[in-house]
Amino acid sequence: MEGQHSLTEMRKTVDSLATLARQLYEASEDFPAVNRNIKRVLASVEMLKINLEET
Amino acid sequence: MNREVPYWNPYLERLTRDSLERLQLKKFKQIVNWAYDKSRFHRALYQSAGVHPDDINSLADVGRVPKVEKAMMQPIQRKDPFPYGDALCVDLEDVCVFRQTSGTTGQPVYQPDTWQDWEWWSDCWATLLWAQGYRPSDRVFLPFGYNVFVAFWAAHYASEKIGCETIPGGVLDTKSRILKIQELQATALMATPTYVLGMADTARNQLHLDPAALPITKITCAGEPGALIPATKKRIEEAWGAKVYDHAGATEIGAWGFECASQPGALHVNEAMFLAEVEDVETGKPVTEPGQRGKLIITALDRLAQPCIRFDSKDIVEIGDDRCECGRTYKLFKGGVVGRADDITKVKGVLLAPSAIEDVVRSVQGLGNEYEVIVDKKGDVDNITLKVELIEDQAGTAMEELKAELATQLRLKTNLGYNLEFFPPKSLPRYEVKARRFKDLRKRGI
Repeated sequence: MEGQHSLTEMRKTVDSLATLARQLYEASEDFPAVNRNIKRVLASVEMLKINLEET
Repeated sequence: MNREVPYWNPYLERLTRDSLERLQLKKFKQIVNWAYDKSRFHRALYQSAGVHPDDINSLADVGRVPKVEKAMMQPIQRKDPFPYGDALCVDLEDVCVFRQTSGTTGQPVYQPDTWQDWEWWSDCWATLLWAQGYRPSDRVFLPFGYNVFVAFWAAHYASEKIGCETIPGGVLDTKSRILKIQELQATALMATPTYVLGMADTARNQLHLDPAALPITKITCAGEPGALIPATKKRIEEAWGAKVYDHAGATEIGAWGFECASQPGALHVNEAMFLAEVEDVETGKPVTEPGQRGKLIITALDRLAQPCIRFDSKDIVEIGDDRCECGRTYKLFKGGVVGRADDITKVKGVLLAPSAIEDVVRSVQGLGNEYEVIVDKKGDVDNITLKVELIEDQAGTAMEELKAELATQLRLKTNLGYNLEFFPPKSLPRYEVKARRFKDLRKRGI
């Protein structure tokens, strides 16, 4: 699973997740249940980026 | 998910040395930039040393960045943004959890973490637990006081992240914890080596229960050396009938080192998340050759709320030869944390590491697990006393033989003679968290 191709694909998917999560975060200022949960999702997405970071 | 994969992160844990160093340099520059921009404490420190983040262009430049000691953190805290003060790099509203150091070496240091920092902490712990064979099928018992000290908090989160069934064993006495392990058939346990040995004693002596008959198959030890001191590891493994693994970390740093399931007699440094430098205790010069010992200077490469950059850990480590059958490319520290710079001292002109004494005490049949070392002066001469506990009261020839064997082994392993004092079973102090068995009274001028 850790071939270069699949790492590249996973990184792209994580970037897409980050974009989606940020959109939801910015759209949820008046919706605490969404805003606080997506904030945690953003932290997890950051961890995914760290786990796959290019050297 | 494939549970047979031996690595939590098959990509990072097997990077080539060149790739690892490229990643470390990239991350080091990022964290120094972050601290310079966001932390008044770090900016002032770097400016006074004449260092700017743009000056770091290679790992050789890392040494230009000033080190940070715990004593430098204490005075900048308890101020606005309260209570963290000048090293806080995020909005106070983004801090989701407070921890503090134990304060055994002075005023406690407060440690803020954001949720992202906690994700990172728990991922570092998940790396080590996976390496030690923890899988979603495990039922993990954590017998620690869930409070302001970080202790095994991140281990708890990591255990949940892996998917283990995680049992919080706080606010129970030792007997209740053992009975809960038995009742729930827990398969893994995490605690300090001192407490794990104490639990085994309690099981045998107060519950008349053989701990080896419990279903625990692996134990992760942290908080103090022991799990990589051969005689202590052997005692714990025999008592519990389980594999024992070491881990090293600290509140201000994170979970930086771990023993893998191959048990190489060493700790892997999680080099994707930490940059570990080793320097000579006296000269401060880099130590790089296998077999050499020095003090660990460490950077947490991804910790943001209160960065840990070139932190003087005071941990003494020995460079290993970096070969482990597990296949990880992370560097190894032989014997784990072999001592503390605060504790390693010269006695009668001989360099003494308290861990060497523990290895002897726990390898001699007839001696209990508890001991105490006291160094003082008689006139101008150093005097070292070792108080040890017997497993059972002994007298006459048996006692003399025991004393002779202990004296011989101590002389062989530490090159020193000791005043030996023997105590009945259960008479020396017990420790539930970090044991303080080494007392150098010379430092207090007593």
